[in-house]
Amino acid sequence: MLLDAMMMEPMKGLMGRERERDQFPVGMRVLAVDDDRVCLKVLEGLLRRCQYHVTTTNQAITALKLLRENKDMFDLVISDVHMPDMDGFKLLELVGLEMDLPVIMLSVNGETKTVLKGITHGACDYLLKPVRIEELRNVWQHVVRRKFSNRETNNLDFSKEYSKHPTTDSYHGLSQVASGSSDQGGSRASKKRKEPQSEEEDEGDDNDNDAQDNDEPSGSKKPRVVWSVELHRKFVAAVNHLGIDKAVPKRILELMNVEKLTRENVASHLQKYRLYLRRLSVVASHQASIAAVFGGRDPFLHMGAFEGLPSYQPFASSAGIPSFNPHGLLSGVGTAAFGLKDLAPSKAIQCASSNGAVSHCIGDTNKFHIANLQENQQANLAQGLTAPLGQPQLQQKWIHQETSDLSSFFSGSALANTMSGTLQRVTSSSLPPVELLECTQIKVGAHSSIRIPPASSGLLERSVGLSPNLQDSSISQQCAIPIDDRFSVNKLPLHIPFVDVSTTKLDASFVAPEQDMDQKEKFPERVTVLPSESLIAADRSKCGTRSSGSTMLLLSDTERHSKYLKFGVASNSRHGIDEMVNGSFNYNGGASVPEQNDVYDFGNSKLQGGFNSSSCNFDGLLNSIIKVENDDMPFADNDLGCELFPLGACI
Amino acid sequence: MEYANLRRQAASLKRSLFDQGYLDEQFCQVEDLQDEASPNFAEEVVSLFFKDSARLVANIEQAMEKYPGDFNRWDAHMQQLKGSCFSIGASKMSNECTSFRNSCAEENAEGCRRSFQKVKREHAILRQKLESYFQLLRQAGPARTATRSGGK
Repeated sequence: MLLDAMMMEPMKGLMGRERERDQFPVGMRVLAVDDDRVCLKVLEGLLRRCQYHVTTTNQAITALKLLRENKDMFDLVISDVHMPDMDGFKLLELVGLEMDLPVIMLSVNGETKTVLKGITHGACDYLLKPVRIEELRNVWQHVVRRKFSNRETNNLDFSKEYSKHPTTDSYHGLSQVASGSSDQGGSRASKKRKEPQSEEEDEGDDNDNDAQDNDEPSGSKKPRVVWSVELHRKFVAAVNHLGIDKAVPKRILELMNVEKLTRENVASHLQKYRLYLRRLSVVASHQASIAAVFGGRDPFLHMGAFEGLPSYQPFASSAGIPSFNPHGLLSGVGTAAFGLKDLAPSKAIQCASSNGAVSHCIGDTNKFHIANLQENQQANLAQGLTAPLGQPQLQQKWIHQETSDLSSFFSGSALANTMSGTLQRVTSSSLPPVELLECTQIKVGAHSSIRIPPASSGLLERSVGLSPNLQDSSISQQCAIPIDDRFSVNKLPLHIPFVDVSTTKLDASFVAPEQDMDQKEKFPERVTVLPSESLIAADRSKCGTRSSGSTMLLLSDTERHSKYLKFGVASNSRHGIDEMVNGSFNYNGGASVPEQNDVYDFGNSKLQGGFNSSSCNFDGLLNSIIKVENDDMPFADNDLGCELFPLGACI
Repeated sequence: MEYANLRRQAASLKRSLFDQGYLDEQFCQVEDLQDEASPNFAEEVVSLFFKDSARLVANIEQAMEKYPGDFNRWDAHMQQLKGSCFSIGASKMSNECTSFRNSCAEENAEGCRRSFQKVKREHAILRQKLESYFQLLRQAGPARTATRSGGK
């Protein structure tokens, strides 16, 4: 180990980098920032133990300087939240914006709102101090995901522009390579941050890039387009001139009139920018809801708990909240809610898918985006599903992850977006009228400022088509659970897909948030939204909640949550159930609903038609959660968390 | 051998620190990070901790005097200290930090003061104990500061 580390030193630099890349994640270059010297020292020790190459500084300003001097010097940044010279969140934003590097936040403070803030600002992950080495061992995923997501984004960008069907090979390839989670993460990451996609994707042919990217997890180093302040300013000016909704990369490019800037560069940057805007708009509203939902605990955790919850099996959903919680959260939440005891925790893929889909949808009415997401989702879901259902240890980790994920998940608007998207989708989808209604309601209910972008409407349309598919997964229908204000989990009927938007601990949120009933009101309606079929089926399931896709947003923040819920519901429901049942959420992004009808049933068994009953049996769920928690969430899988976030991220 | 004896003493001192709750699992992690490259890692971290924490404690004290009633400020300072405590596994001390922060949240000045006294006390106790511990280790043997000895 030591030897490796030593070998890494001289290898720095391109050549070294190549070599390191071969051995990735060994030698991954990390920049650690923390004003607390003790923490920094311990962190450094831990990172070295993981065989990363570590650089430390206890000043944010120095860190920024280092990063700016040489953008290629680091793969990952880990930063404390509370620093005297610069707020950690600010640093996070700057790094994301300028360098497109994954950033992980650290803090003693695990409060939902803080975690949420981290997510909305674009953090890939949010770790609580004291940091354990196990958590650090996994952080390399964020780097990979980002690369993948970049690639995906690239694809998506192209797709967007050409309305190509997203299922590009590269995309699939990515999925495979990244084994799902990466994709998820990637998408999420990309969605989350509106970092300039820069280089890799933008370079040349997207497909080529993707292909290449697929081959190397670490991603080849393509020249990056650096979105300097100046460039970004031009970009924003162009966008404002055209109108954010009408801004297309081609026109923007023309207006900007910058040499050597390709449309792809602009497209990916635009995507990020949109996400960023969304995030800004929904952050506030979501925060509240999320906080409520999560109540400071990993919602997913609860999700997992649900698994074990005898009474509440709302969602076999995304129990496993992948580290990507943020995205997954939504989905995960739903899934978690499912608490598939028996069901493999289908990752919140549903949600995730939805999320991803939504995000995409939001910006892009392309269905395939959703589909893409789905794919990712599926991959992820599958992964998530495999996650041990009720493994205490996993749980533990999961919780952490969730927390962090949530953070990332919440990064923001992505979530919101996704939600909106989902919602949109749901509503538009031809889902059973009832569901649609619900969904709509959710929309309405959502106080949150989830702005459903016009694109959403597109989504809606699409969803319409989808709905038939989604039918099974009534869950998707569920999505519309408007989680307004403090959507307390309690309020949410179990049916509701547990969308754990609020990253924080689920249990807390579950228990804690006592959402006003208004949510509930909305909710119940929403609940019904769930495809009756599915719901009913769900009823059968133990889970009270409809796991299908309905990710319950336990967000305390109603508005935001509602958004999320909606989202999750819509997309996930369907898959969620399926997933759950199968343990793999195939969020078919609407278009191609996975043929897991049976899955749904399965899920249904788990879910107890929770949704059907408009009454949110959230309390039940909550209780279950609490109970589960006490028992040690069996469901540690982050499945839940899946895609919900990505959606937002995509935005 | 004398060294073995010293090592045993160190081990048992460490065990008692754990049993009494002064230290927790995190401390083990810190010690784990010790290896050939950084043979005195744990001791370095701990001494850094005490240096920094002494400064932070003084800051808090000062803040409490200079800005009475400014709970946010007190809390912000304490959060820093708490982070450090967490990092080395000083559990009793971090518990006191937490109760201090709780008092801040409740805007309970008296509670804060009391908690702060406890924090200071725990700080002093821990420092003394860890100093003895490391001293024993140093005497016990230079090469392997026996992170593992004494049956972790």
